Amino acid sequence: MFMDGNNTAVLPLALQGNGPRLLGWNLPTEDIHLLIPHWQAFEAPPFYYHLLLALVYFVLMVISTVGNGIVIWIFSTTKSLRSPSNLFIVNLAIFDLCMMLEMPMLLYNSYYQRIMGGDLACTIYAILGSFSGIGGSATNAAIAFDRYKTISSPIDGKLSRGQAIMLITFTWFWSLPFTILPTLQIWGRYVPEGFLTTCSFDFLSNNDETRVFVACIFTWAYCIPMFLIAIFYLNLFKHVRAHEKMLKAQAKRMNVQSLSANRDAKSVEIRIAKAAFTIFFMFVCAWTPYAIVALIGAFGNRQLLTPLVTMIPAVCCKIVSCIDPWVYAISHPRYRAALEKRLPWLGIREDLREEDTKSAMTAVTAAPTEET
Amino acid sequence: MVVAVKVFKKTTPNGKLTVYLGKRDFIDHGEFCDPIDGVVVLDEEYMRGRKVFGQLVTIYRYGREEDEVMGLKFSKELIIGKEQVFPMVNAKMEMTPMQERLIKKLGTNAFPLTFQFPQSSPTSVTLQPGEEDQGKPLGVEYYVRVFVGDNEDDKAHKRSSVSLTIKKLQFAPPTRGRRLPSSLVSKGFTFSQGKINLEVTLDREIYYHGEKITANLVVTNNSRKTVKSIKVFVVQHCEVTMVNAQFSKHVASMETREGCPITPGASFTKSFFLVPLASSNKDRRGIALDGHLRDDDVNLASSTLGAEGKTSSESMGIVISYSVRVKLNCGTLGGELQTDVPFKLLNPAPGTVERERVNAMKKMKSIEKHRYENSHYDDEDDSNIVFEDFARMRMNEPE
Repeated sequence: MFMDGNNTAVLPLALQGNGPRLLGWNLPTEDIHLLIPHWQAFEAPPFYYHLLLALVYFVLMVISTVGNGIVIWIFSTTKSLRSPSNLFIVNLAIFDLCMMLEMPMLLYNSYYQRIMGGDLACTIYAILGSFSGIGGSATNAAIAFDRYKTISSPIDGKLSRGQAIMLITFTWFWSLPFTILPTLQIWGRYVPEGFLTTCSFDFLSNNDETRVFVACIFTWAYCIPMFLIAIFYLNLFKHVRAHEKMLKAQAKRMNVQSLSANRDAKSVEIRIAKAAFTIFFMFVCAWTPYAIVALIGAFGNRQLLTPLVTMIPAVCCKIVSCIDPWVYAISHPRYRAALEKRLPWLGIREDLREEDTKSAMTAVTAAPTEET
Repeated sequence: MVVAVKVFKKTTPNGKLTVYLGKRDFIDHGEFCDPIDGVVVLDEEYMRGRKVFGQLVTIYRYGREEDEVMGLKFSKELIIGKEQVFPMVNAKMEMTPMQERLIKKLGTNAFPLTFQFPQSSPTSVTLQPGEEDQGKPLGVEYYVRVFVGDNEDDKAHKRSSVSLTIKKLQFAPPTRGRRLPSSLVSKGFTFSQGKINLEVTLDREIYYHGEKITANLVVTNNSRKTVKSIKVFVVQHCEVTMVNAQFSKHVASMETREGCPITPGASFTKSFFLVPLASSNKDRRGIALDGHLRDDDVNLASSTLGAEGKTSSESMGIVISYSVRVKLNCGTLGGELQTDVPFKLLNPAPGTVERERVNAMKKMKSIEKHRYENSHYDDEDDSNIVFEDFARMRMNEPE
């Protein structure tokens, strides 16, 4: 019987024959309980959809493994990078790698056009997703907090190593409740979704338990981190603006007659605003699709949730987990310097960027400071 | 006998331009500040058709380089003086005696370079880095930069520019005044009658670096509690106005049980001696020092003297103050009785008798160092000017 299923999967179009197949047609009977009735109303996606998705995941998997892998490797082996702040970046890379571990499972599932391995595989897939997703969001908030502290009081306000480790432990605990509860089916549960090749928490079952679960996870994993990120970066930006203003006033008192000073002061603010907005925007891009889909599933018009639509959010958050190392680490001058030293063939030129900021600085100061 | 005058010099990497400075420490006298007077000597061939500019630059460093995130720099460079050195714009420029002498000696290719510290520019202060800290130390730093370029805002090139770190310092006024700072506090206790009185008086208002501070304590115990122990600290208060940060560090401390316990009804009088020194606070992160150029003559940051009628918050930079803090430990339930007596810690003003004495002491301490310096005196030099290489002395030069 298993063989049968497999064969049909391998030779899809030929056997599709008469009439459209519905989702879940190839699920073995022992896994049929995983199927939410909602999906049975849809046609099974053609094999090339699976192929396409698998291709996207494969590319993301490679990018994520390389990006996050190098981040963990460089940050943990370079002495000058072992600061408390960088622990957060490593933590984020660990979460992102967790998310990456899902991807080989999807490749395998896609080939057979269904979730393979029954309950256990589905649960593992979903645990990886929810643990890394929620943990990553919390880490994003922790990074925002750390940056706010560092920039608002650079001399005495920095997080100590102990505090940083405590915050990191906190991010792990933050992601635990909504990982463990559905695993043990105490509250919520994990089910296949979309093409039935991926698993996530159930947001489609038509009962109050599911609806409350969705509302809670929406608040816990989306609203709260997003709110924190927004607050910290907003305050950070406000602080930078006030500080620039103060320095400008002092420059005026000392008769620094450099007209271009104003221009540069603005550019510092804009640079910070851009960086902060990028990170906030990334968070929104990563998790808003998921939030919307889950909310529609629980409270809205479910007919909107076609298999294809529900696959979009999963891809979004995976894309962001691949971009993270670029956003957080590559923009880190010391990390780039270390990369340049370790992997010279990457062709990273640290001094290039140095020049960039310098000329921006030059506007105020007309003076290049030679760093490093 | 003519005393040799020491002159500091530094040459650009390409060797075409040399800057001479009469000194590296410039004194803020309150009403006025020493001008920064130097001389630039140019290579005649090389300079044909080129222009040379000088800048007085201050750098505020208020965060460690390794903590910089989001492309934000924790340092700010302000150019507080600009001047075209060559070709000379103002030929009739007034020169200081030092400049006149140097120009006479160095010939026709020597040009004067003069800067004034602007009003409300802060004094040089360095915050001692911790052992793990990389990068340049935090604080306020000044340097004179001379470079070859097309206009005064031109970018300096490494090969044809030179930077000399200088310090702006404040010295004690010539007379130290007679006022003795003191503080009287008392502490009552809930559920218990009577008070403990503590009076602390210092033997001076202004101390010089390295001097012994005498704190006279009078404790009168009219309460029912006992004083278990006495702690005396010298506290350095450091206000970094650039980032609105304020912190206090103990730079000297002692704890004693002498005369303790001071029982109800008893009183106790005693003098404590403390010497706050930079050398006893080595490697402690965040201790403020007078901007250090070399390691061996470093001293704790001098108290910031505000101009009359000016609050410290108006002057940007790092504001330093000191106090003697006395803590009486009145037992676990009694808590602590604490008081602060402010004083000033400064270098003696040059020319005063005290100055001579301190200098003599310093010389004794560093005979070795002195010898080393002597060996570098230019023997060919027949006049009484001694040239000292600037680069060798500098620990934290901006390259």
